[in-house]
Amino acid sequence: MEKSLLIIRYRWWIIIATLLCVTVCIIPLSKIHINPDLESYLPSTMHYRQNNMIISKIFGNEEPILIVLESSDVLNPLTMKRVENLSQALSRMTVFKRVYSISQTKNISSENGSMVVNPVVKYIPQTTIEREKLRSEIKKNDLAYKLVVSDDFHYALIMLSSNKTMADAELMKTIRKTVDKFPGTEKITITGQPYLRDEANQKISRDLIILLPLGLALMFLLLWISFREIRGVLLPFSVVVFSIIVCMALIPLFKWELSLIGVLIPIMMIAISNNYGVYFVARYQDLNANEPDLTMSEIVQKSVSYLFTPVLLCGLTAIIGILGLVAHLLVPARQMGIVTGIGISFALVVSLMFVPAVMSLMKKGKPHTNPSAKSNGFFYSILRGSGNVVTYHPKAVVVTFSIFFALSSLGLVIFKVTPDSKSVLPKKHPFNQAIDIADKHFGGNKIITIMFEGDAKDPKLLRKLDLYETELEKMPNVGSVTSLATLIRKMSTALNDSNDAGFNKIPESRDAIAQYIELYSMNGNPEDIEQFVNFNYTKSLLTIQYHADKISEINSILNRLDALAGNNKASQVIGGYSLVDKEMNESVVTGQNYSLLFAFAAIMLLLSVIFRSFIAGIIGSLPLVFAVLCTFGIMGWLGIELNIVTALLSSISIGLGVDFTIQILWRIRWELAQGSNYIQSVINTLNTIGRGICINAFAVMLGFSVLFLSSFPLIQSFALLIVISLFLCLVCALVLIPAICILSKPKFLNKKLKSNSKIFKLNKS
Amino acid sequence: MKTSIIITTLLLTSISLFSQTAQEISKKSMSATDIGNMEMVSTIHISDSKGNSRVRQITTASKQFNEVTKMLIKFISPAEVRGTALLIYDYEKQSDDMWIYMPALRKVRRVVSSEKGKSFMGSEFTNADMSKPNVNDFEYSMLGSEMYDGNSCWKIQLKCKTEAIQNENGFSKRISYIDKNIFVCYKVENYGFDGRLQRIQTIRSYKKQSNGKYFAYNMVMENVQTGRKSELVIEKFQAGSQLSESAFAPTALEK
Repeated sequence: MEKSLLIIRYRWWIIIATLLCVTVCIIPLSKIHINPDLESYLPSTMHYRQNNMIISKIFGNEEPILIVLESSDVLNPLTMKRVENLSQALSRMTVFKRVYSISQTKNISSENGSMVVNPVVKYIPQTTIEREKLRSEIKKNDLAYKLVVSDDFHYALIMLSSNKTMADAELMKTIRKTVDKFPGTEKITITGQPYLRDEANQKISRDLIILLPLGLALMFLLLWISFREIRGVLLPFSVVVFSIIVCMALIPLFKWELSLIGVLIPIMMIAISNNYGVYFVARYQDLNANEPDLTMSEIVQKSVSYLFTPVLLCGLTAIIGILGLVAHLLVPARQMGIVTGIGISFALVVSLMFVPAVMSLMKKGKPHTNPSAKSNGFFYSILRGSGNVVTYHPKAVVVTFSIFFALSSLGLVIFKVTPDSKSVLPKKHPFNQAIDIADKHFGGNKIITIMFEGDAKDPKLLRKLDLYETELEKMPNVGSVTSLATLIRKMSTALNDSNDAGFNKIPESRDAIAQYIELYSMNGNPEDIEQFVNFNYTKSLLTIQYHADKISEINSILNRLDALAGNNKASQVIGGYSLVDKEMNESVVTGQNYSLLFAFAAIMLLLSVIFRSFIAGIIGSLPLVFAVLCTFGIMGWLGIELNIVTALLSSISIGLGVDFTIQILWRIRWELAQGSNYIQSVINTLNTIGRGICINAFAVMLGFSVLFLSSFPLIQSFALLIVISLFLCLVCALVLIPAICILSKPKFLNKKLKSNSKIFKLNKS
Repeated sequence: MKTSIIITTLLLTSISLFSQTAQEISKKSMSATDIGNMEMVSTIHISDSKGNSRVRQITTASKQFNEVTKMLIKFISPAEVRGTALLIYDYEKQSDDMWIYMPALRKVRRVVSSEKGKSFMGSEFTNADMSKPNVNDFEYSMLGSEMYDGNSCWKIQLKCKTEAIQNENGFSKRISYIDKNIFVCYKVENYGFDGRLQRIQTIRSYKKQSNGKYFAYNMVMENVQTGRKSELVIEKFQAGSQLSESAFAPTALEK
């Protein structure tokens, strides 16, 4: 039985089943949880993430938070008092395992044969002389200078170490409340992962609340402009809403969480899922206007039998492209691939069954011609012009594209992968301002930790740690290196006079080291020393504080560590959030390559199957290669870095962009089969389906352009790049592909058409 | 009106009476365990939440000379720290004097520090736990009576009067379980600055000494927040000290 008849016969079942499915999917929506933790986006099998877990097990899972106070001179009494008040108030909170600022800094030295331990700030200096005296003392103290007070004395740092027992929002609220409790004129900026997660969490919610309704309103408007008929708006619009509900419901149903990338999901659904329903409305309006005697049931039957296969193929190409994300390394990217893949499939099924089923129950409306379908419209003029250029100067077209390709691709030389999560928030955000200050005036905001196995009291091991410190501190990006060796060496300067053999040295015997450690434990918090060595003294931790703007700078430190380790790599575990961050961004490249390869292979296979020719697969993939490489090149030229969001655009644009090429190739083949020559076929193709392709492409671009209003700069960059990428796919399909066809006259286009080849019909109306 | 005034007056009087009683009981408790001069050998077992442990054996001697209490602590084991010694002169009206001796350095070093270490010998006990609290620093209140380990106890709360006192002592309030008959303390709950229970100290094996005072041979401090635990076991104890003042001199540390 014909599909169209089946749909009409079972229309009530189809409508009820669709509505029931959507209603059921509303229930889990309230259970969607936002996960702004970027580290969790990486699979737990990733090297540095695993190392971090190993180190955390031994040394705890604390997170640093930096509070930066900016003043013309941080040694002025008011700023000093504020630092003291804040440090004291924060150190009383159990959530902070350690609070370190100039107020807590001690001066450990040897004076007149005594070990002297005093706070650097014994009292807050009130006179200029006292202030200058303190300044010179701070400059001599490596536990304070450039660590908690900047080199130019404009910035003071309060370092907090959170034990992760408080939720990010509550923690940041507590910090802000404490800061407000001690007001002052100093500008305060904060940085640290809990802050980033809290901000990202708020911004993800804000984006969803603003972008989703805006996207829907924009789509509603676009549908109204296109069809000027309430059913023309509501039917495709319901497909969009239904597919968003189903798509989003899958997230909690699969026990996943909504990531930062997840903001793209509903917007993608708005941009993509309306297309399929639109074809049916357009066809209905066309038949209603041109064949007024047809009943509604007949219109639906005709529309279904006419559109079923081409709409299905359109949907399948989009699904295949987006499923490329399943091969991605980032967990949320894979999840997005699955969720949107199912969402688009649902949109496709609803468009193919629910929309005609509902239409068959409606009364016929007034005949309605599409107001934008005039032959003197904007798209027609453009397409006519491009048709002329393509047909008369195909070589020039190919050369122009090649030059553009070459120039754009040159940008790949300066193409950068982001080394950290700084790009998640705007450049001027206090989070990034604090990072910039830490990088410029302190040792840096990034941390690498190395856990060494072995007897921590063994002088050999301590000398090794000491060597690491000396060698690493020579590197331009490294601010400070601290370990048990730093502490022992420091103690040796207090326990020995400067002319003693043991002064500023790692002691020669194990017993001496044990006694130094015992003395330190006796006088401090027992857990203090455990930031350097574990309880059993079998594992030691070395911490490198550094700054880096490029992945290559991080790699140079890792290479140095590799060289220092020599053949003893097995006895050390290298971790630290900055490396997880680096790994995430590197995995973005690998993940993107995987999904690109998957998408290309799948699309080439699909094109080869559709056109029964491998050459078709190659020619059809050309616009995708062109668009993807040019987009990356443009990213290089514009200084847009590849990050966790921008890395998704290639598979998405491939999935959407291939549609244009398939339609163009199919129509040229059909025109050739009708007896036209290549030039005429191209002109006819552009004049007929060209407009439809343009409207389709611009609707998708418009949908994605809502993302320009996102709070995340990386999503805004994604919006720009996906629009550029889709535009390039469109231009390639409309200009480059016809020019190549004219020049190469590929055999697959001359094959005879099968009777059921209907894809060109999509935009014929 | 009259009735309400009487009730209020009675209530205030009874609160005041209870308050005095709580403070008095605490004072009596301090007095009951105030040993004064002593010599002892003890072992400290320090363990973390994962069950790893460190054991330190030390000798302690404490003796009052005029207005100075002199305390000598020496490590017996482990072997790597054996001989390490710490001498503290605790003055009534000035900051402490402290010397250390490390066998590896083979010399006595004076330690000048305006800051007192918070932890006692790297354990969960704080120095505040080991010293007598200043009665005027706290508000005392009676929380009631409770049985503890078969003994009828007063449940008394000590609350730090100011934030500075909190910082100095490392707790915001303490709840002590004090024996109604002999006034020894069996359990102390220490609350952090955020008001949450932080450390629980249990004191066992009291023995009455010749001077009529009680001395506990076993003390356990458990940090309920971190899971760390320290146990102080007294192996030998002697009330009073036979040591001469010269044994408490810095030069004697090397011997």
